[in-house]
Amino acid sequence: MQQDRLPTTPVTGGDGVPPQPSAEDREAAEREDAERQAADREAAVRAATQPAAAARDTGTAPAPRDNGTAPAPRDTGTAPAPRDNGTAPAPRDTGTAPAPRPRSGPLAALRTPAAANLAPLVLAAALWLWALPQIDFRSIEEFGLLDRFPVGFYAALAVLTGGFVLTLRRAGTAPLWPATYCAAMLVALKAPPAILYDTVRYAWASKHDAIISRLLTEGTVHPGRELSGGMSAYDQWPGFFSLDAALVRAFGVDAAASFINWAPVALGMLTVPVLILVYRTFSDDWRLVWTGVWIFQLANWVGQDYLSPQGFSYLLYLTVFAVVVRHFVLPGSAGPLRDRSALDPAAAAVPPPTTTRQRAVAVLFLVPVILTINASHQLTPVMLCASLFALCLTRRYRNIGLLVTTGLIMLVWNLTMGRELFLETLGTLREKAGDLLGNSRPGFAGDPTGPGPELVGSANILMVLALGGLAAAAVLLRRRLARSALPLILAAAAPLPMFAVNDYGGEMIFRVYLFGLPGAAFFAAAALVPAVGAASRAAAVARRTAAVALPVTLVALLAGFLPSYYGKEGMHYAPPGETALTRRAFDRAPEGALILAATGAFADSYYRYDHYERWFFTEQEVDENLRMLKDPAGYLAGGIPAGRPAYVILTPTQGEAVIGEGYLPVGGFDTLKDALKRSPLFEVVEESRDGLVLRYRPTT
Amino acid sequence: MAASPRLTPRVQRRAALAASGWVALAATALPGGSPLRWIPVLAFVVLAPGLALLLPQPLGLRPGARLEALALAAPVSLSVATLVATTLFLTKAFSLTVFLAVLALFVTVAATLPGVPLPAATRGAVERDSARTSARTAGGTSPLAARFRKRRPGGGR
Repeated sequence: MQQDRLPTTPVTGGDGVPPQPSAEDREAAEREDAERQAADREAAVRAATQPAAAARDTGTAPAPRDNGTAPAPRDTGTAPAPRDNGTAPAPRDTGTAPAPRPRSGPLAALRTPAAANLAPLVLAAALWLWALPQIDFRSIEEFGLLDRFPVGFYAALAVLTGGFVLTLRRAGTAPLWPATYCAAMLVALKAPPAILYDTVRYAWASKHDAIISRLLTEGTVHPGRELSGGMSAYDQWPGFFSLDAALVRAFGVDAAASFINWAPVALGMLTVPVLILVYRTFSDDWRLVWTGVWIFQLANWVGQDYLSPQGFSYLLYLTVFAVVVRHFVLPGSAGPLRDRSALDPAAAAVPPPTTTRQRAVAVLFLVPVILTINASHQLTPVMLCASLFALCLTRRYRNIGLLVTTGLIMLVWNLTMGRELFLETLGTLREKAGDLLGNSRPGFAGDPTGPGPELVGSANILMVLALGGLAAAAVLLRRRLARSALPLILAAAAPLPMFAVNDYGGEMIFRVYLFGLPGAAFFAAAALVPAVGAASRAAAVARRTAAVALPVTLVALLAGFLPSYYGKEGMHYAPPGETALTRRAFDRAPEGALILAATGAFADSYYRYDHYERWFFTEQEVDENLRMLKDPAGYLAGGIPAGRPAYVILTPTQGEAVIGEGYLPVGGFDTLKDALKRSPLFEVVEESRDGLVLRYRPTT
Repeated sequence: MAASPRLTPRVQRRAALAASGWVALAATALPGGSPLRWIPVLAFVVLAPGLALLLPQPLGLRPGARLEALALAAPVSLSVATLVATTLFLTKAFSLTVFLAVLALFVTVAATLPGVPLPAATRGAVERDSARTSARTAGGTSPLAARFRKRRPGGGR
């Protein structure tokens, strides 16, 4: 049998105008084609690959024995012969596949693909719901939630992973099943705190709650007003908080706290469709697309998905990227990338080019999105410009107009609303620029201490290495895919130069990782989901290896995600008593008082922040903290301006944070507490298991 | 189904979109925190502006473009809502009624206008229509097909 290839001439024609529709457009036609030929092909493949029946059940495509005579797929990567390989448009796609022997009754119903897909989902849901009330989040110790999750919770996640891998077999024809599993995994992973916690999870989310509350109280923002602790930046980039404030009013609730813990789930639900749009632009293989999405979810442990301007702006950044890669292809730029024989079997052909007018319309369509990114966050517009600039390096996406528009919007915002912080940052650039090691260092100081935080640190490193290794392997081994999906690689690499510029308060490394994630996840998936089209012996080995490697890697990534995301939960969950104590302490302090705390990483640390000044005294170099521990009371008293009323709030969450982040050595927090209690310079105002509040009592 | 020619599903969708904002505004009269209040409001703010901008295509959306419209609806909607809210706060003019009324008005107007002609949306629709018409007329050209065939798929250069 001859290989059934499309003509090797580019389908764009000589004038760059595509006489053929986009890859997605072709799907319908291809499906019809393939459906007509499916029966013939399947018979041929079965004849050629009888022993591969078992492999089919594990999700691998049967391997044609001979690359010269095998009934190779039509080269689209979406229409290979065997129906079960996950991408073949088979008539079974409705989930009502013809059973081998016609049967009726419940037994036959259980054997349908729909039942096979549904069963793990139902089992996982039952396990998860059973495990949920048993999650003992009120007694978190050194391993965060890891040793508080019951076995049923882990089992539910494992079953979901297994079910997802099974649904991949028919991902091409029934993509709703992997979609359901992705959504279920998102909920299973990130909904427990939203359902269980009775306070705001994550100190920085509670800070954003405070900012929204202030905006509602004030009714406006004051971009020019100086606020301590860099809080005026939130008045200069108020976009996201304005939206939240409007939602608080629209829902008729007291504060964003009532819905804040759902943000990771909501942002995930909104991000996944955009991510699919991006991945579909570069691959016709739904298995690759869904595996990429799955890996993205598991690798997104950096904790930027809470109710935050960066989480929101990230969604918008991906939106801009999706529209650009789909609608900004320049005419005559695709070259061989629309020639099927030059493409990876899983790759999609470059989208059809657009006219200047169409691109202008698309720019206008994107302007509100870009404006919102600029109104919401400081760093994302820079990342967006970097990505667009990187795309301009390709002939395909050299859209100077869009880059200039984005740059101008950013500049205008920075020079008007964001002027104060922008100029200040420019001032610090001179000392930070070029300090690659310093800028890529996570956090402020020190190394994580204690078994929990150390485990988290190791998990983080392993996750980065695993993801990077897989992605790099795919880029090297699947060069054709890398060439057609070059924009994803460029966008992933674009943020790297940021290390040369600024440390972003010890956060730069996480942000660079986050912006590199879509590309990294896609290529990591490409390493695990080999093309079904290739017919060589090596490709067959790759497929067999992947049948094992895929589930193993997904479980390993899950095992890496959990400590990374939940391993420091002691820092992120504060019981209601603790937040009540903190609020009482703030309310007790007079207007303008100085509030001292070991770190700002505790719930309500920014409560009514425009009324007080805060000093988080361990957020500095470790050496300085060791000096402080020799005489904490004297050290703190020395930093309190004369005549200023001052209070110290020390809570168990802070104790977790200072040890976890490595600000203080083990036992340092207790030493600090005892020393302050004993000191005549401080008077205990309130003490309970929820924390300790002291008032500064100057001797003279 | 014998739908009235004036109330085709497309017109019904547009009408529903146009009405959604006013329904959301009306829902704010309910007690705070009630699901009957926050669910319609959230659905409206998160989806309606984007759908109103992307959905009303003269010939409907093909599957690929439908995915695009659904995926982009939320981020675009939230962008519009953010810009409205930010402008209102910056001008000290924020009130819930003004915020939702501006958005509802925006959605109502956008729903009556043709959608943003992103290439993926128009390209598929034109082709599908041409194909259907060709099949129906067996090679003959109806005025509608002729009109849309002039717009080459992909939009040319």
